[in-house]
Amino acid sequence: MRYSPTTSKTKNAPLALNASYSRKKRLRANLTGYAFISPFVIGFLAFTFIPMLVSLYLSFTKYNLFADPVWIGTDNYVKMFTGDANYLNSVKVTFIYVFVGVPLRLAFALAVAMILNSKSRMVGFYRTIYYLPSIIGGSVAVSIMWRNIFSNEGIVNSALNLLGIPNVSWFGNPNASVFMLVTLSVWQFGSSMLIFLAGLKNISQEMYEAASVDGAGAVPKFFKITLPLLSSVVLFNMIMQTIGAFMTFVPAYIISKGEGGPLGGTMLYSLYLFRQAFMFSNMGYASAMAWIMLLFVGVLTGILFKTSKAWVFYESEGGR
Amino acid sequence: MKKAAGLITSAALVLSLLSGCGGKNDTASTNAGGDNKASGGDTPVTLRMSWWGSDARNEYTQQVIDLYEKEHTNVKIEVEYAAFDDYWKKLAPQAAANQLPDIMQMDISYISQYANNGQLEDLTSYAGSQINTADVAENVLSTGNVNDKLYGVPVGVNVLGFQYDPSMMEKAGISEIPKDWDWDTYQELAKKAGAAGIYFDSSMAPDIFFHYYLRTKGFSLYNAEGNALGYDDDKLFEDFFGMLVEMIKAKAVPTQDILTQTKGIVEENDIVKGKGIGMWQWSNQYVALQQAVNRPMELAPMPGPDMEKGLYMQPSMYFSIASSSKQKEEAAKFIDFWVNDVEANKLIMGERGVPISSKVKEALTPELSETAKQVFDFVTEMEPLSSPMSPPAPAGSSEVREMLGDYAEQMNFEQITPAEAAAKFRGEANAILANNQ
Repeated sequence: MRYSPTTSKTKNAPLALNASYSRKKRLRANLTGYAFISPFVIGFLAFTFIPMLVSLYLSFTKYNLFADPVWIGTDNYVKMFTGDANYLNSVKVTFIYVFVGVPLRLAFALAVAMILNSKSRMVGFYRTIYYLPSIIGGSVAVSIMWRNIFSNEGIVNSALNLLGIPNVSWFGNPNASVFMLVTLSVWQFGSSMLIFLAGLKNISQEMYEAASVDGAGAVPKFFKITLPLLSSVVLFNMIMQTIGAFMTFVPAYIISKGEGGPLGGTMLYSLYLFRQAFMFSNMGYASAMAWIMLLFVGVLTGILFKTSKAWVFYESEGGR
Repeated sequence: MKKAAGLITSAALVLSLLSGCGGKNDTASTNAGGDNKASGGDTPVTLRMSWWGSDARNEYTQQVIDLYEKEHTNVKIEVEYAAFDDYWKKLAPQAAANQLPDIMQMDISYISQYANNGQLEDLTSYAGSQINTADVAENVLSTGNVNDKLYGVPVGVNVLGFQYDPSMMEKAGISEIPKDWDWDTYQELAKKAGAAGIYFDSSMAPDIFFHYYLRTKGFSLYNAEGNALGYDDDKLFEDFFGMLVEMIKAKAVPTQDILTQTKGIVEENDIVKGKGIGMWQWSNQYVALQQAVNRPMELAPMPGPDMEKGLYMQPSMYFSIASSSKQKEEAAKFIDFWVNDVEANKLIMGERGVPISSKVKEALTPELSETAKQVFDFVTEMEPLSSPMSPPAPAGSSEVREMLGDYAEQMNFEQITPAEAAAKFRGEANAILANNQ
């Protein structure tokens, strides 16, 4: 596209194609291109890349925002893994949240997508309805609503009371509270569902017809046709959702009123990072935490890509 | 290529957490006031003022500012406000950038940190000149002192007490709270209520009430230097938190899982629902509680022995002036207006704590609602029974406070004994405090 102003001319004047002239032209064309992407590049450098470098530096310092940073080497990293039980707890809680929540959410999204893939008159309506929670999904309002639904006097407990079951303190139980966050995340399945739905539409009906002729039931069809042909979509969703889940902050912050309680049961990694940074003014430590998370998510994503060769099926590559 | 893309994507996503927060604060600090000279008179002056609080507070504060601007036509006051937690997240980067507002509302748990970092102006020389302090009690004004310098003018004072509904207490078979009650009486009464199926209270905020308890014994939570805990005997910790745990076991206090959920939500408190008798908290929180309960309520003093040693008048908040401010005198004049102007205080109506000026307090009394009057009377009654406040909480105290809260939770869940918690708390708290020096 970026050569388009020049191509028409060069076509008509092949003699002008000497080396230096074309280099100049190309440079100008490139500069135009760079000018067009400069808003992103400048924004990326100023608001992402440079802050990242600063945060890398800060992670080796003790910094409370008031006094100048003091270089302390790898102390922050050492403390994280040897001297901070709360940190290890937040890692544990986050792992539960991610490794239970993401598969559940994907399974749920796929199930709903398959239901909505059927041909029915109301399907467009249902698609919209099921997608709604995701639009408002990560927002503060939903978290507050979730807290109210499961609060002591909330609608769930009131319903239980009607059935003669005493109140359950959903968010009050230190071991169960993280699963309340998981259910909230499962409920926000809409965006994965849409992607699954698009993937399902791409699977040719002929395969199913052929399988039916061979006498295959619904279950073999799912495992032999749907899942393999959808595996690339599964991979995409899995990576996006995993990264997103590691960074979950809002529901934990709202539901635990910023404290990650009870007993650190909802202390997700980002929440603990946030508390270290903005409540305890340990900016250096928080930066170190951010880098560990970055490295971990990077490595995990790398592993997912590596293993994907074994289970992801690309039709375009002839099944390799 | 894919791998690299994944890395960069995740890097950008992860770091956007941090840069996102920074971005917000940038916008907050760009609307800094002009560089007007603080010569007073008719030179236009723009002041920045910030506070935390509820909608009601934001509204009347704006009205007070409007009133001030009407009387001082050359002054324009730009406002920034937020909820308590967000307020400090906004203020810290502004401090780092030397862009603090001219006038800022300061909290007792942050004032020494800001003062020791040189962010606040010493107001000693302003008190008595720009800020009239003739009607302010000395041990009230001195609550704004850090290292013998006045870094904040207290805006109002609060005092601890037990706020309760007498009719609920009667239901539990308790006729009254005896004068000069002590911890034994408290436990007795609470257990009686528990046996009657009524909660006596909703436990006590660990840092505040443990600190009070320590003071009655002649100690305090932090030592004077702010580099270690202020008590040596872990038995004190065990006794106090052991008592709180026992109250839960006696069903005089809801279990911790309920406490966790209802914490900070007045409407969900057991008194409001007619299942509890009272609540331990600061006097300025009484009005909101009474409104939610909507039945006649009373205030009772703290249990002793030696309540006089433990009790102190706590400034609900301060107004401080940034040391980087270019118009400190103008800022001081506004603080004077806030403290001493009767018309302004008729808008404020003691919402930021009982006014520190005795004249204002007097002028306000006939205007007060019945509930607010109870608070004023209670504070006036307690003032002669109180001792000077301990030094403001040192740097690192927010982390210590959270940790104490965590241990209290663990004790209430019976995951750790008070004796174990006492030892662990001492070790970790001292490490944090020493590390923050």
